[in-house]
Amino acid sequence: MSLRVSVSISTIAIAVLCCAMVGLAADPPIPIGVSVAQTGPVALAGQEQVLGAQIAEEYFNKHGGVNGRPIKLIFQDGGSDEPTAINAFQNLINVAKVVGIMGPSLSQQAFAADPFAVRAKVPVIGPSNTAKGIAQIGEFVSRVSSPVAIVAPNAVKAAMEINKDLKKVAVLYAQNDAFNKSETETFQQAVKDLKLELATVQTFQTTDTDFTAQITNVLNVKPDLVIISGLQVDGANLVKQLRDLGYKGLIVGGNGVNTAAIFPICKAKCDGILIAQAYSPAYKSKINDEFKSVYKDKQKKDPPQFSAQAFTGIQVFVEALRALDKKSPIAKMELAALRVELNKQLISGTYDTPLGEISFTTGPGMGGEIVQKQAYVAQIKMDPDGTKGTFVFVK
Amino acid sequence: MNRTFLLQQVLNGLAIGSVYAIFALGYTLIFSVLRIINFTHGAIFTIGAYATYALTGSQFGINGLLAGAALPFRLPFVLALLGGSIVAALAGVIVERLAFRPLRARGADPLLTLVSSLGVAVALVNITQYLFGAEPYSYPDPLQGLPSAVNFGTAAAPVLVRTVQVVIFGVSMVMLVLLTYLMNATRTGKALRAVAEDMTTSSLLGIDTDRLILLTFVISGFLGGVTGTLIGLSVGVAGPYFGIAFGLKGLAVIVLGGLGDIPGAVVGGLIIGLAEAFVPAQYIAYREAVPFALLFVVLLVRPQGLLGRAQVQKV
Repeated sequence: MSLRVSVSISTIAIAVLCCAMVGLAADPPIPIGVSVAQTGPVALAGQEQVLGAQIAEEYFNKHGGVNGRPIKLIFQDGGSDEPTAINAFQNLINVAKVVGIMGPSLSQQAFAADPFAVRAKVPVIGPSNTAKGIAQIGEFVSRVSSPVAIVAPNAVKAAMEINKDLKKVAVLYAQNDAFNKSETETFQQAVKDLKLELATVQTFQTTDTDFTAQITNVLNVKPDLVIISGLQVDGANLVKQLRDLGYKGLIVGGNGVNTAAIFPICKAKCDGILIAQAYSPAYKSKINDEFKSVYKDKQKKDPPQFSAQAFTGIQVFVEALRALDKKSPIAKMELAALRVELNKQLISGTYDTPLGEISFTTGPGMGGEIVQKQAYVAQIKMDPDGTKGTFVFVK
Repeated sequence: MNRTFLLQQVLNGLAIGSVYAIFALGYTLIFSVLRIINFTHGAIFTIGAYATYALTGSQFGINGLLAGAALPFRLPFVLALLGGSIVAALAGVIVERLAFRPLRARGADPLLTLVSSLGVAVALVNITQYLFGAEPYSYPDPLQGLPSAVNFGTAAAPVLVRTVQVVIFGVSMVMLVLLTYLMNATRTGKALRAVAEDMTTSSLLGIDTDRLILLTFVISGFLGGVTGTLIGLSVGVAGPYFGIAFGLKGLAVIVLGGLGDIPGAVVGGLIIGLAEAFVPAQYIAYREAVPFALLFVVLLVRPQGLLGRAQVQKV
């Protein structure tokens, strides 16, 4: 090989390498922010959300990313309180320069942190914010978590399926907690809408440990169904004491008791509680099967709702970015314009997710409110010794 | 109000009142000797509950330094309760050495001792959280073979009280009798009362005041451990702060009954329990206000509490 040929080959090789590097530099991974509770009392749920998001990142990058360009999740701990969530949002928006944010874990945090994203015109997807008014925070705030008002009544309907003679309903709720107060309104409305008799409404505090007085009032009306809106410890204690004092009818629990953390308190007496769910591992679809199988490989159990919702949040971002990129290449867009266009695109799409088919409704001054086709109800099944329990999905 | 309903509410009131009474007994014992509110009582009560849980061989959860840990042996519940209460008594000794004795030796103002006990209480609760996490625990049920409730009415008109609450009521009455006997009929009790009357004089008379004060903390800690476990048996051990939640109510109970008066603590607890039980259904979530409203009224009429003696100020 002559010197001239060698030089030519080297020159071509260097040119190709340079072009490749220029190409790489032009297409860095697309940064998507994730700010969920990695620390604090909500970290248990937050860790499941992190896992769901990581599976989504791996899955969608393996399936071509955004039309060939990978995504990169930037995690910023949102903690379990409002100031930490606000800091995390500001970091993701101003320092990490993400195209959108999935988070925070709690509705309470969303009301504090989301307005910062709205002012910066950054799209936010709430993975687990179920309180009333989340999408109304601003036009850049959407959620993939069905609001309690839509999910909760399904559990009452499931109870009516189990007990066809169900008529009298007793409702108990924690009156010192904003979420439970709003949830009980939904339940009470559902009872009226379903033409059931609301025989008594009893209140308690989340700090209460003894519910004998309320239970006496409940048992006096001989209800067929008791609906409880409380948090983990008070809700579980209430169930335990209700069963101790001889109540044998059906129990519907709200979102506050939608956790295996109630098992150590009410043990075998948790058995039979009906709770509405936004996700079922039993839902049959290609994407849910694939998500479930990756999750199971990692955790040796079925994925919980929090992981499925987090996966869905990232999926919505990825599919909206893909659709947007096809309309006008996102690589050429300024970050500010990309964020605005991405928000418009994600609200207008329909997505086949592990939660089922979802889309969004919107209105003036609001973001995307989830419309979820499928609804699920689970019933707690405890081992006879009360040490282990599972959420069994009711058909 | 029909008879069955009335009886049900009276029994509800006595059941919850006995929980308050049993908690307040440990509080009042320290006050009767040292004339100081021991804010660590709630934390010691929690430590007793956690220690019993550990001794039953149960596993700690997923948070905290000891996540997933369990003792290699499993004690029957009654032995675990005794062991847990001994651990709580030892915690009482540590508290006395750390928060009370150094200040007493320097003749510090009682207010400083109060603040010091509050500080130790917060530290103990946080150490508990660091070690065992914040999740709730409950014991293997020792009453499993028994019915979950006792019927004090008829089959047609049942008046039900949870079995565990009947047990708590029984234990609080036994504790009352034993403590009253200890204070009134034993040499130790007489020496304790002498220390309570005047520490300097009793010391001059040859009474080892430091040893007796330590003994008071041991008994109070042991009672705290028994109480923490029994209440944990009834409502679960709802995390490291669960004893603290009873603290404020316990304070109301001992002030209502008469500060430092042992039967007064029981009477105060039962009265508050009964008052709460008769709060009308529509206001039931506000029943927390009842003991304090009652306390306010009683203090206006009898500043020394229901069974307390009026303090004579030495001038």
